Order: sequence, then C-alpha cells, then structure tokens
Amino acid sequence: MSDFLYFFSFQDSSIAFVVMGITLLGIGSAFVGTFSFLDNKALLGDAISHAVFPGICLGFMLAGEKNPFYIVGGAFLSGALATFLSSWLKSNTKLSDDTIIAVILSVFFGIGIVFLTVIQKSGNPEMAGLNQFIFGNAIGIVERDLWVYGSLSILIISVIGFMLKEFQILVFNPEFGKAVGLPMNIIRFVFDVLLILAVVIGIQAIGVVLMAALLITPGTAARFWTDRLGILLGLASLFAILSGVFGTYISYLLPQMPTGPWVVVILSSIALISFLFAPKKGLVSRYFHRRSYLQKTQRDHVLKSIFKARELGQEGLTRAELLSLYPHQQSSIKNSIKGLEKEGLLFVNQSLIKLTDPGKYQARRVVRLHRLWESYLNEYMNIAPDHVHESAEKLEHLLTPDLEALLESRLNFPKLDPHQEQIPRDHDEL
Amino acid sequence: MIKQVENPILEIHDLTVSYDQSPVLWNVDLSLPAGKLIGILGPNGAGKSTLIKSVMGLVEPSSGYVKLFDQTLDAVRNRISYVPQRESVDWNFPASVLDVVLMGTYGKLGLFKRPGKKEKALALDCLEKVGMSAFVHRQISELSGGQQQRVFIARALAQEADLYLMDEPFAGVDMNTEAAIFKLLQEMSAGGKTVVVVHHDIYSAVNYFDWFIMLNLHLVASGPKNEVVTEELLRKTYGGKLNLLSKVSELIRQKEFNPLKG
Repeated sequence: MSDFLYFFSFQDSSIAFVVMGITLLGIGSAFVGTFSFLDNKALLGDAISHAVFPGICLGFMLAGEKNPFYIVGGAFLSGALATFLSSWLKSNTKLSDDTIIAVILSVFFGIGIVFLTVIQKSGNPEMAGLNQFIFGNAIGIVERDLWVYGSLSILIISVIGFMLKEFQILVFNPEFGKAVGLPMNIIRFVFDVLLILAVVIGIQAIGVVLMAALLITPGTAARFWTDRLGILLGLASLFAILSGVFGTYISYLLPQMPTGPWVVVILSSIALISFLFAPKKGLVSRYFHRRSYLQKTQRDHVLKSIFKARELGQEGLTRAELLSLYPHQQSSIKNSIKGLEKEGLLFVNQSLIKLTDPGKYQARRVVRLHRLWESYLNEYMNIAPDHVHESAEKLEHLLTPDLEALLESRLNFPKLDPHQEQIPRDHDEL
Repeated sequence: MIKQVENPILEIHDLTVSYDQSPVLWNVDLSLPAGKLIGILGPNGAGKSTLIKSVMGLVEPSSGYVKLFDQTLDAVRNRISYVPQRESVDWNFPASVLDVVLMGTYGKLGLFKRPGKKEKALALDCLEKVGMSAFVHRQISELSGGQQQRVFIARALAQEADLYLMDEPFAGVDMNTEAAIFKLLQEMSAGGKTVVVVHHDIYSAVNYFDWFIMLNLHLVASGPKNEVVTEELLRKTYGGKLNLLSKVSELIRQKEFNPLKG
C-alpha cells in the first residue's frame, strides 16, 4: 500500500516523468491505432512492430550503447522499409494482404533475432538492456529516452489533431477525398509515417512484440461504447493510459517484471469488460434486451388468450384453463400472470382472470395487429389463410403504430381477417 | 449515333481505360451539353462506372484525355461533384449524417481547415433538400439504403458544383426515394446544373433523362433522347443478350403516341 501511495503521489520525480511519458505514449498510439483499426488494417501495426526489431539491433551495434537516437532512427528506418515492402508486394504481386503481413512480420523479426544473437556473442556489457525491447520495461526508461519518446508522442498527437478531417476521409472514403482534390497520397503517406512512429515510441516501454496490442485494443474496446469519432478517440486514449500506467506500476513493484505483458493484460480486461457490459452493444445488455422482449411477447400472448375467451362469450379464464393453453411454459406463464397483474393489465376475480381496461386496450391492439398482418399476407402476398398464422404470431409484437396505420389504409380498414374473425378496433364494444 | 456539341461542358477525347492490361473502355469520344439530365446506360461490366471515374481522375486512362469546362480537371475541380457508389464505403464508420455531408465542403476548405458555421449551415441546407433534416445527428450505420443514398447526394450538393457525376444513385433504393431523388435531379437541371447519372434500369431511364450515353465497352451512342433511344441502338448496347430490350420496345409500342419523338 505504501508502494502504491509512493508511486501514485509522484513524489519521486523520475516516476512522474515515466508516468507522463507513458500517458503521452498511450494517447499517441491510441489515436493512430484507432484510425488503423477503423481502416481494417489492424495487422499492419503488428507487422511493423515486429519489423522495427532488426533496426533497433542495428542502431545498437552502430552506437555501441543504448543511445535513443540511434535506436529510434534504426527502428524507424526498418519500420519504413517494412511498410514500403508491404505496399510494393501488394501492387506488384498477387499475394493476399494476410500473406504479405505474415511474410514481412516473420522475416524481419527473424533477422532481428539473428542480430540480437550476434550482439550477445560480442560480449558488449551494455547489451543486457537490449532484451527489454522485446517485452518492454517502462521503469528502465531514463530521462534522455523520455525526451525522445515524449516529443515524438506529442508530434503524433498534434498531427492527428491537426489533420482529423483528412484522416477521417482517408478511412471513410479516400476516393471521394481524391475527387474533391485533397492530396490523398500525401495524407496516406503521413499516416503511414505516424503509424511507424507510434510503434517506435512504444518499443522501450511496451516492447516490439506487444506494441500492436497498445495500438489496436484501445480503439477496439472503445468502439463498443460509442458511435462518435471524437468520443471514440478520447475513450481509446483513456484505456491506453490506464493500462500503460498500471503496467508501469507493476514494473516498479517488481523490477524483473516486463511492462508490455501487464499492459496487455489490463487492456484485454478492459476490452473484455467492454465486450460484455457496454450498453447496447455489449453481450449482457443484448441478452437482457432479448429476454425482456421475449417476456413482453409472452405477456402479450396471455392477454390475447383472455381476449379470445371474451370473444367466445366468457368473462375470463381460470388459472388452470390459462395454464393448460401453454403446457410447456407453466412456470414462465405464472410469472407473466403475476407481472401483468402488477402492471394493472389484468385482475383476479372469483378465481377468474379478467382484463382491466388498459389490459383490454393492449390485448385488442395485439389481436388487431395479428389479424391485420394475416390479412396483408393473404391479400398482398397471396399466401394461403392456413399459412399466415406463424408469421403474424411474431410480427404482432413488432409492428409500430405507423405501420399499423399504413396496413389499415392499404387494406382499407377490413372488418374480417382471412379466417373470418373480426378485427377488433378501439371503438368496438366488447 | 454520336452527337458532338458546340461548347461542351464535358469533352472526352478518344479515351481508353484498362484494368490489368485488359481494356474496359475502348476509344470513347463524346461531348456533353450543359444543363441536361444525362443518363449513362449499359449492361453490367460495360464500363459505366469506369467512365465517370476516369472523368474524376480516379482511374488512369491508357490513352486519351478529358476536358471539363474546356479546362483540365485540376483547374475546375471545385465545379464538379461526385457521388460514388453507396457500397464503396463502410457505413459502420463512426460518423453522423452531418459529418458525412460536411465532407462535401472539404474540397473548398482545402487541407487543415476545419468546417465552421458557414459549412454547417450549408450542410443542413443540403440535408433539407434531400428530405433528411430529421436525421442530422443519426449514426450512419442506422440508415436504410435509400437514406444512405440521400446522404451521399446531400454531400454532393454541399460541393456547390455545376456538374454532377453520380454512380448508380438509384441502386437499392425504395420507390419513394427514387421518385424524390429524380425530382431533385430535375430541379437541379432546371436550375442550369448538368447532372450525369449512371443508371441500370432502361425502363425508368426512358422517362428520367433527356440525353443518353450508351456504353458497352465502347461508346454505342451519345445524344438527345429522341435521336438515340431506338431499338437498334438499345440492342447494340445490350448485345441482344437481355430480353429487357423486347420489353422496352413493348413499352414503347403500348403508348398511344411515339414516346421517342420529342
């Protein structure tokens, strides 16, 4: 607990620096990653993040130490080479996108590992830190690194902020952008550069293997919560920052623990929570939505049964009569009766279940929609009267008042449905 | 039957376009008058979309050139508006109806400038013209096909152009939308705008357009309705493969007057 307070009160200026760095890094990669996720190019980020590895090793060999300028420079160049190669392969061969991505990713990463082995054999005492670039170590960041990664992050964030409209059209409809005269090739080029930079800024803190997760997962998770681009970018940044800071905290507590995997664990949890619990698009919300719909349809059916009994001259139905109509749904029908009673749509009088006035209104509407739809199917779609019931059984819960009005006028306010049953209206006496 | 005009608003000179070495358009040479409602007709794969894409500079021609308002495309881009096919974009993109219509102003805004109050007012105005005022802040994935098409047309209107090139604006839309869009196009053409529309349905085309371009990999005809909508040219365009042709002649025969004569 005291560790926690010490870390998050930022008394230690080096911790404050690292947290600031990881925050900037999170925003930058979430911004770029969200656009590349929306552009359906999620895998390209993965390929580039693996492809920067040989560049890191070369930078290290040239500098002989962990100099951030050499390392960032090398990483950028090899990332750029990978990006260029993948678009060259795409336009000059018939290889599919995923083949190209797989080839680039494995070839570059393989070469990187060869270089790493060479460096390890050389016995350079500085080389111990090089392993960190694979899985990342945020706490290992020194002030000099921070300036490089921090300013690159700020560059990325400002370019995206400045060119929001350009990137929006690049992803949504690049052809239209070209047609209105925007230089789409240049905009695409700028975006590719930003994507490589977004990978490069994460190599020290997150590591090349897992950087793709920090690019893509925040946007993916945020997409469950919103349909607005601005909010999407904001939420994605928030998720990236949360996971980045927490990952750093773990690395601070346990210095041997790499940061990248923890960032991925947090991010995946956020993504899982979003997938399950986001309003509207989340799995749980969709489940409850469906359940309450099914409940409503069953209640409608109960009302309908009592309404039909009234049509045959009965006052209402006994509980046993009602249950016998639904032999396989005894317990849920009992619940529906209770619910309808609570809603004030039916009441029990001398062991007979009867409709209240609002209950009659609702029942009449469901029966009317059922019979109108049957008439429509029969008259306009030439479906035989004995084939229309199933469809009407489902549509009676869905049709809106607008559609009801349209059906009425198309069918010219029919009195009877195809089974010669009366179509009930609100002004009818019953 | 290829009728060339004086002072054309659009001149296509000996245009040949190829995809992967195989030509999809052969030596198209035509000129179009201003202020007309022009239909591009032809069977599937006839090169209709390719023709307007090459006018917009979206595909490179193998030979030939295009002149608009007697100038090159780049000199007059702001006077031309383009409606791509509805299926060409991902409608799940997180954007509102207003966001999409505002894209129509991006050409005049140029790089880096954001749309402001003026652009917003223009976009709302254009949405009103296509009857979509009630949907301004609606997420685009929630729209029906016909509504998406109206949004695309509103975006084209926001370009405030003189020449409109539309790729299948009637594809997959309901009857009401088709009638509404057609009425709008008529108003635009009456207001002096030139509207070129790629269309797939010969039936309705006969009623909609007053100038026709008929394509079937090569240019079969280009001219005013009464001169080019003939059985012979339609048969040439559709290669006799479609029995639609006989239906169209049936349609023409059913009229008490000759609908092909002015």
